[in-house]
Amino acid sequence: MVTPLDIIKKKRAEAVARIIGRGYLSTKRVYVGMATCEIAAGSKEVMEVFRQSIAKGGLKDVYLSQKGCAGRCNLEPTVEIVEEGKIPVKYGKVTPERARQIIERHLKNNEVIEEWLI
Amino acid sequence: MRAKSILTLCDGPTCIYKNSRAIRDALETELKNQGLSDEVGIHISGCLGMCSKGPILIVNPGYTIYGGVTVQDIPEIVQEHLVRRRPVARLAVQEDHLYNRFFRIFGDVDFFGRQMRIALRNCGIIDPEKIDDYLSVRGYEALAKVLTAMSPREVIDEVKKSGLRGRGGAGFPTGLKWEFTARETGNEKYVICNADEGDPGAFMDRSAIEGDPHTVLEGIIIGGYAIGAAKGIVYIRAEYPLAIQRLEKAIAAARENGLLGKRILGSDFSFDMEIRLGAGAFVCGEETALIHSIEGRRGMPTPRPPYPSVKGLFGKPTLINNVETWANIPVIMLDGGEWFSTVGTETSKGTKVFALAGKVHNTGLIEVPMGTTLREIIYDIGGGIPNGKKFKAVQTGGPSGGCLPEEYLDTQIDYESLAAAGSIMGSGGMIVIDEDSCMVNLAKFFLEFTQDESCGKCTPCRGGTKRMLEILTRITEGNGKEGDIEKLERLGQMIKKASLCGLGQSAPNPVLSTLKNFRHEYEEHIFQKKCRAGICSALVTYEITEKCIGCGACRRVCPVNAISGKRQERHAINQETCIKCGQCFTTCKFDAIVKA
Ligand SMILES: Cc1cc2nc3c(=O)[nH]c(=O)nc-3n(C[C@H](O)[C@H](O)[C@H](O)COP(=O)(O)O)c2cc1C
Ligand code: SF4
Ligand code: SF4
Repeated sequence: MVTPLDIIKKKRAEAVARIIGRGYLSTKRVYVGMATCEIAAGSKEVMEVFRQSIAKGGLKDVYLSQKGCAGRCNLEPTVEIVEEGKIPVKYGKVTPERARQIIERHLKNNEVIEEWLI
Repeated sequence: MRAKSILTLCDGPTCIYKNSRAIRDALETELKNQGLSDEVGIHISGCLGMCSKGPILIVNPGYTIYGGVTVQDIPEIVQEHLVRRRPVARLAVQEDHLYNRFFRIFGDVDFFGRQMRIALRNCGIIDPEKIDDYLSVRGYEALAKVLTAMSPREVIDEVKKSGLRGRGGAGFPTGLKWEFTARETGNEKYVICNADEGDPGAFMDRSAIEGDPHTVLEGIIIGGYAIGAAKGIVYIRAEYPLAIQRLEKAIAAARENGLLGKRILGSDFSFDMEIRLGAGAFVCGEETALIHSIEGRRGMPTPRPPYPSVKGLFGKPTLINNVETWANIPVIMLDGGEWFSTVGTETSKGTKVFALAGKVHNTGLIEVPMGTTLREIIYDIGGGIPNGKKFKAVQTGGPSGGCLPEEYLDTQIDYESLAAAGSIMGSGGMIVIDEDSCMVNLAKFFLEFTQDESCGKCTPCRGGTKRMLEILTRITEGNGKEGDIEKLERLGQMIKKASLCGLGQSAPNPVLSTLKNFRHEYEEHIFQKKCRAGICSALVTYEITEKCIGCGACRRVCPVNAISGKRQERHAINQETCIKCGQCFTTCKFDAIVKA
């Protein structure tokens, strides 16, 4: 008999496959905070910069996702960048201008912009 | 200098027994020898709930867990992990638990290093609008486990074993509440999630729903199964549009995936859910008022008993819990009630989410194990008071809570300890207050709120808070009289005793607790007509000191021409005409104007 547990395990495997299908295994993953607090601080505009950059083909091999609030209210909007084999980094108070620089310097040229890190 | 890494050493009874104290000494010595004492912070934590693998040492950033650590291993850990940044694989333990599972800490160890994330475990980590993301982190596995292998009785026993208590404020044991509702007969029962969150400044529940709505849904569905209900309702305030939108999306996705609706995951259990919007009255967070509001009646409290567990929504047995309470349920089901009960203190288990606000460096949403002290929250996680100001008080529990002064900073977060200190746990508001705040004015702020939100049903709450507010207002305006303090105390006690619901019963708390801990400030206002923080404008006088160079800027800005003086000569303020607007004070570039 198929139990609920069997069903959920199958669902999880499918979900993981779909996430990978969306490009999760890309070399770089970018997470933009999108909760009420982050949006109030301007995260929508920041998200748009990343989205545009990917849409226009300027950014390749990047997996872009939103996330909820991790609690860092006074430093929002926050952007996290996770790369295989590297210590993940989190940028605070990201503006559209900073986002453009993060794209150019960090995502394209592998430079961690120390002064904006949390 | 701030620490670059944080080592968390478990100081629970089992780990102490297994020699963790000697390990701490060895660590301190080794760090000193390597010259790392400044860069690496050691944090001693209460039981981390991994007793079988103890002694436990966690290294952040990275959240590497070392188990079975001995004194001999310390040099290797320090040399390899901290100096060469290569984790010691031999000692690392892989825990297949749900809490803290995806706890990536980045460089942000000061803020996250002392937290423990159970309810917020996915917040800020997964995409809250994609059920796939939730499924991928063992989402809905707790529900599946419950439906596959546990009877409703066993689910309730697990919650009881966990020691979980309600996070909405009152701290009632959750398992007992479930049991009371489960044992009612009749086939129509309801489950309610209280997401009204009316405390001014609170946003714990909003963030939890916005960051991980499925966790809350999963908890509610499990609750429905445990008590035998077929219908759940999330009562959320209309001012939370994003949270509502994400909840709607989550409910739709859960339905599509057979996680809500008929025969969930192929089992015999059917359950569905809907959202009801609250108009935002504070009193509608009170459970009986909330239920009336859902029924379409006025949101006014009614006497208990009967408790909702016996006679709730539409007169049927109803289980009502807070958002954060629900978010703990999936973890308790998967990691076990026994594990959960190892976290925290004797009477308060697990963690608590706080919205840390006010005069601290790091404001934000935090989740800490019960037993963490106020000092650790404010100074270690919060980073202390900005601008070199002095700490004055910490307010917990919002308009129902109290203010604790410095002497209480070592109080542990725990329902009983906070109550004994004269405040309450509340739902998670925590405001840090520095020397620039006036405690009388603060008490007045909270009382204004409750006065305004009183539903008006009982005279003590409706009229009594108004009288108290009048007295407070006159004190802050410099018209306080001898006997006012005693009057406030008498009124406060009376309102507490004679009000029907928690709003009235707790409304005097901010005043009573500041009267207890900051009585001298009230006395100064009344007898010396002085506000030491310079907040109560009627009690402030502005004076121009000898620093004045006679630039005339203040003279020009004063709206009532109260300032006179010749150019390049010291100016003076005519106290009779001055309306204490403070514009001269902010205008003067030479710090020549002082508040007294
Ligand atoms: C005036 C007043 C406001 C309340 N507001 C809330 C609220 O916003 N959210 C909440 O969960 N509980 C609130 N409560 C507590 C609820 O009455 C109830 O105890 C709680 O929802 C039970 O859930 P729990 O056991 O999980 O804490 C309030 C109580 C009072 C008296
Ligand atoms: S105590 Fe206040 S809020 Fe509560 S029922 Fe009475 S009047 Fe209404
Ligand atoms: S406080 Fe306002 S009214 Fe008084 S002297 Fe200064 S500017 Fe004039």
